[in-house]
Amino acid sequence: MPSAEPVAARQTDAALIAAWQRGDEQAAAELVRRHARALARFLAGAGAPEADVDDLVQETLVRAFRAVGKFRGQCQFRTWLLTIGGNVLKDAARRGKRAQVVPLGEDVRATGGDPHEHTVAGETEGRLVEGLMRLPRMQRDVFLLRAQQGLEYEEIAAALGTTPGAARVHYHHAVKRLKEYLL
Amino acid sequence: MTHESDFEDERLRELAARLGTRAAERLDVEHTAQAVVARLREARPAPAGTWAFPRTVWFRAAALLLAVLGAGLLARSLFGPTPRAVVLLTAGEDVGDLTADQLRQALQGLEQPLTDDIGASDAGFETLSADELRALLRSLEG
Repeated sequence: MPSAEPVAARQTDAALIAAWQRGDEQAAAELVRRHARALARFLAGAGAPEADVDDLVQETLVRAFRAVGKFRGQCQFRTWLLTIGGNVLKDAARRGKRAQVVPLGEDVRATGGDPHEHTVAGETEGRLVEGLMRLPRMQRDVFLLRAQQGLEYEEIAAALGTTPGAARVHYHHAVKRLKEYLL
Repeated sequence: MTHESDFEDERLRELAARLGTRAAERLDVEHTAQAVVARLREARPAPAGTWAFPRTVWFRAAALLLAVLGAGLLARSLFGPTPRAVVLLTAGEDVGDLTADQLRQALQGLEQPLTDDIGASDAGFETLSADELRALLRSLEG
């Protein structure tokens, strides 16, 4: 009996969402395979401790699948997922499950290359995360969606319920404040 | 100054693009997929038409049904219609006081089978035949 995975892998996100709504669990699994890593990157960039990233990714995906009927295709499924991830992270912080101190050492211990360069890069990335956590949430989300995920302002605006112009302004405010913090 | 600012922007973008890479690499995607599907399966409502209500719901429904049935039986015993035979019992004590209509009603009741809970000895004129009762009725009508 052939596996359903190769078929699912060729389908669009919209087709997989529709299949999941009809009860196809393989469709949900394929959507997780496609987007879980990007979600993990977003959450870690937004300040989630590495130890919590796995749980936060799962929580975000479960919440998204339960609310998938509200997704109207106004943006990409992944972008919508990332905004839900932001909500999950905020809720986790509110419940006190999120450490307030961002771990700085993980990237420092990265293997390969010049240890000194890695140390400097790790420290800078740690400070960047610290700086991001000091930003208003809209600025932080816009910055991450733009600079980390590489999305266009139109896409960011659709996901966050704002205009492309406003998203651009948020991004520039975020860059200005981060540079002040880092440099 | 502008070049320096552009350089800083570019550097910031590079840093941001690398953020969370390690956390993403550490994530066991397949495990996450299976865990998410399992959680969704647990939370998913049962398909329509299956008998998958929680046990407490069934208990409550059964208790409610019993209460309704009990109340119905009680109401019937208290406020239910009086059997026609009871009219006969009452009438049998003094047939002479009955009106013509009451006697006609009693006569019709005799043509129906009597209920078991009325003893034959209690029915004053049960021993009379239908013809005898008709004769009695005619005599009362004068």
